[in-house]
Amino acid sequence: MVMEDSEAPHHLLLLRNFMSQGVLHRQPLLYASPAHSPRAFLGTLPAPIPPRTHLHTPSQQQEEDLRIAWQYKKYFGNEQMFVESHRGNHWDFCNEFDLRKSLDRQLLGAAHIDCVNLQDVEDLASLRDRCSAFLAPFARTEEGITCVGRVAIQSFCSPQCRYSNSDWDMLFFIKSLRSMLRSSNAVAMITFTPSVVSSSSVCMRWQHLADTLLSLRTIPDDDKEMAKLLTDYQDMFGLLHIHKVGRLNSQVPVILEATTYSLKVIRRKTLVLERLNQAPVDASGGGSLGGCSGSSSARLLDF
Amino acid sequence: MADLVCRGLRDGVLEGEYAPALLIKDTLQISLGVHVFNHFLLSLSSNISSGKAQSRGLVVVAFACPPCFYVDLLRSRGIGVASLSNWIVDCYSDPLGWKDKLLNSGFSAQLSSKSHDKSSVGDVECLFRDVGDAEKLSSLVFDLGRGLVGPGKGRFSVAIDSASELLRHTSLLSVSSLINNLRSHDQVASLFWLLHSDLHEPRAILSLEYLSSMVAGLEPIASPSTDAQRNHHNHLFQLEQNSRRGKLHMRLKRRNGRVKILFEEFDVEQGGIKFVPVSLGNAIRNDAILPKVQFNLQLTDKERGDRAKVILPFEHQGNGEDIKIYDGRGPIADAPKNIFPTPRLDESASATITTSSNGGKGEIHYFRDSDEEALDTDEDPDDDLDI
Repeated sequence: MVMEDSEAPHHLLLLRNFMSQGVLHRQPLLYASPAHSPRAFLGTLPAPIPPRTHLHTPSQQQEEDLRIAWQYKKYFGNEQMFVESHRGNHWDFCNEFDLRKSLDRQLLGAAHIDCVNLQDVEDLASLRDRCSAFLAPFARTEEGITCVGRVAIQSFCSPQCRYSNSDWDMLFFIKSLRSMLRSSNAVAMITFTPSVVSSSSVCMRWQHLADTLLSLRTIPDDDKEMAKLLTDYQDMFGLLHIHKVGRLNSQVPVILEATTYSLKVIRRKTLVLERLNQAPVDASGGGSLGGCSGSSSARLLDF
Repeated sequence: MADLVCRGLRDGVLEGEYAPALLIKDTLQISLGVHVFNHFLLSLSSNISSGKAQSRGLVVVAFACPPCFYVDLLRSRGIGVASLSNWIVDCYSDPLGWKDKLLNSGFSAQLSSKSHDKSSVGDVECLFRDVGDAEKLSSLVFDLGRGLVGPGKGRFSVAIDSASELLRHTSLLSVSSLINNLRSHDQVASLFWLLHSDLHEPRAILSLEYLSSMVAGLEPIASPSTDAQRNHHNHLFQLEQNSRRGKLHMRLKRRNGRVKILFEEFDVEQGGIKFVPVSLGNAIRNDAILPKVQFNLQLTDKERGDRAKVILPFEHQGNGEDIKIYDGRGPIADAPKNIFPTPRLDESASATITTSSNGGKGEIHYFRDSDEEALDTDEDPDDDLDI
C-alpha cells in the first residue's frame, strides 16, 4: 500500500517499476486506474537495464581476432555468445529500469494485461468479481508456484470515482482483495491519497490493512533551508518513508537501518532510493560531515 | 508570484498532459478572492486577445456575478470582447430554472418582461438553467469552447466564477469529475476557479486541491489575536486591514515532482490589485518532513550549565582561584586547604597521617600509596605493557 502525496506524482514511478517487472517476468497483470484510458499508461512503462554481463560480448568478439594462438578460446567464446543470445528473450530477475526508454512493444503485446477504468466502475462488487476472476488461475496448490499474478491499482480513492463516497465499501474491497491474495500466488500494489479519504479513522484502518506500507512526501522547490540540511537536495525530488514491511510467515520483525529514503533519478535514467544524508543541525559548521546515516551509495531495497 | 501563475495559465498545456488548473481559495476573514479571480481573468484575457496565450478563447461560467459584470470589466480594460460571442455561461440569473417554471405555470406577467431583457443581451451569454446536472454543464462548456476556437486543434480556457455555488447545487463527486473532464479534454488549455474554503468540509477542499495543479490561498496579514482584552481594538484594525490587504500563499506543483511555495502580499486599490513579493523567512517548517537527526551540535542551556560545573582535572580551573591539585581523593568544596598532601618525595610514607577534618562520621579514607613511592629514574612505567 502506498500513500501518495496529493501534490506529486511519485507513486507513478513506483507503479511503473512494479508493472514493468511483472511484464518482464511474464506475470499476468491487472491494472486499474481512474484515468480515461489506462492503456495509455502502459506506454510509459520503462525498459529494463540489461545486466552487466551482456556488455561483455562485444569486447569478447574483438579479443577473438587478436588471440590466434589460443584457438580454443574462440570456440569457447562462441558458445558463450550463443547461450547469451538465447537468454535475450528471458530476463532474469530484474530490478533496474531505464526511465528514458519504454518497454518493448512486443513484450507488451505478448503480456497478459487487463486494464480497468475506475471511473467506469459503478460499484465495488463488480470490481471485486473482476479481481477474483483474474486471481483464480493463481490459486495456491500442492505443486508449488508456477505463475505469479500482479495487481496494480492506482489512486484508488480518487474523488472523481463514483464509489469514493462510500468509505466502508472501499475498506471492504481491500479486505476481500487481501484475503484473495492470501490464498493465491499473487501480489498487489495499491496507491491512495490519504488527504482525500473522508475521515482519519478510515485512513487509519486503511493503513492497518496493508502488509507493507510506504508513504511518499514531496519536497519544496528552491528551498534554501532544506538545501542546507540535505546534501543531495538538488538531485532529489521526493521522500519515501517506510512505515511497515510485511512479514507474513515469520515472527521476526524487520528492523530497517533507515526508514526514510530520498527519491532520485540518476542521469534521468534510473530511479534510485538513497538513504538521507543529513547535515547536523548546526549548518553553519560548513555543510554535511557525512551525516548520521553513513554511506551515501545507492542501495537496492530488498523486501 | 502571481506572475508565475499568470504565466502558467497563459502557457497552457503540453501534449499528453492534463491542463494546468488553478484553485483560488479565500475565507471569511479575508474575502478578497473575487479581486484575485478578476485579476487572473483580466491577465488571461489580455494574453488571449493579444495572441500570446496558447488558448484562443475563454469561457466563463458565471455563478456569483451577472454576465454584464464581466463584459463591463473586460471592456473597461480595453480588452476586445466585441468580436467574441457566446463566451459566458450564465448560471447566475436562473440556476435552477425557477423563473422558467414560473413563466410556464403562468404566474408572471411581471416577470416576462425581465426575461425578455435578458434574452436580448444574449449574444455573449448562454443561459443555463440546470446547475444540478454537471454533465450537461460540461457539455455546454465544451460546445461553447469549440464554437469559440473553431474545429481543429484550437484550445480554450475555462474560468468558473465560484465553485462554492456549484458545490452547493451538486455533489463533490460531480464537481470532481467535471473538473477532471475539463482538465483531460483535448481542447482545454487551462482552467481556474474560486472557492470559499470555510463553506465546505475539509474533505471537499482537499479533494479539489488534489485535482488542481496550482493552489492560491488567501491569508490575513496579521493572525487574529486571542487575547480577549485587547481584542476589540485589534479586531477593528484587522478588519480594516483585511478588507484591503492580504497575503497570497501559492503552491505550484512542478513537473519534476517538487512543489514551489511562494508568498506574496497584495493590496486592493481602485485601479486593481498589486502584488508585492515577500521573503519567506522561516515560514516553512521542514521538520515534519525530514526525520530527526540523531545528534545535535548545539548545547541547550541546561547542558551549558552542567558543563560549567564539571571539575577539570587540570591544574587550574580557569577562574582565577588558587591552584589545587585534584587527584581524585574527595570533593574540593568540602575540604580545607591542608587536606591534600602534596607529593613531596621526602615525606615519609606514613599512611597513618590522617588529616581529615570531618570528625565523628564514618567514612572511608583511601590514600594512594603510589604517590609516595619514589620513582626510579631508569624504570619505565610502560615496561609492563606487552606490545
